Amino acid sequence: MDEVFKALADATRRSLLDALFTQDGQTLSALEAGVPMTRFGVMKHLKVLEQAGLVVTRRRGREKLHFLNPVPIRLVHDRWVSKYAEPWVTALSELKTTLEDE
Amino acid sequence: MEKVYEIYIKTTPQRLWEALTDPEQRAIYNFGVAMRSDWTPGSRYEASSPQATGLLMEGENLEVDPPRRLVQSFTALWSDDVKAEGASRVTYEIEPVGDSCRLTVIHDQLRDGASGELFGGWPMILSGLKTFLETGESLTPPGSLRYAAPEVAG
Repeated sequence: MDEVFKALADATRRSLLDALFTQDGQTLSALEAGVPMTRFGVMKHLKVLEQAGLVVTRRRGREKLHFLNPVPIRLVHDRWVSKYAEPWVTALSELKTTLEDE
Repeated sequence: MEKVYEIYIKTTPQRLWEALTDPEQRAIYNFGVAMRSDWTPGSRYEASSPQATGLLMEGENLEVDPPRRLVQSFTALWSDDVKAEGASRVTYEIEPVGDSCRLTVIHDQLRDGASGELFGGWPMILSGLKTFLETGESLTPPGSLRYAAPEVAG
């Protein structure tokens, strides 16, 4: 879980994830075109994202495609965030229902 | 369009295969939806829930190689919108890694711009599957209650 938080604590890496969210399954060259950074820099960031499980790669012929894997974010949510957030969300949505019914 | 999901689960390939193909176990982490089939290559499968009328999903088991690989055609039936999407394909790959398994789910042959409803549930399903196999418990985030039986008070 530390690796997920560390990977997300960087604006460039978040923008790479956003790029994959918009268009999944991109090559390194395509991702490189979207950020003001050298190929080496993008590779370094992708490696951090891969180690955190946030990006998975698949070979397609001679190309290596990068996919956004949102599962680790869900794991963080289910095991860590939900216990803090959900009582509030439930209370607020109940309040909303009550107010709207009046 | 293609989506790829990956998760590590501390379990054996056999146990993971069972959790994917046994309808009662599947329902625990898959929005209450049970998937029934005889799991022979070329056989059909049907997915339903006592909480919903009619089938929710159906398709064919294109490749069945327990406990390593399962390839299914996937047709969603839970609304007119998803029915209009037609058939896509779901591949499960199980690979032992140390004392755990890596499960990769590849949902492809989706049309470009396909509805997120078709594939958006995978992170929740896989997170629930991990909790189920590692702790024997079920996760109950709000979305996953969609087709689950209502909880009995007390």
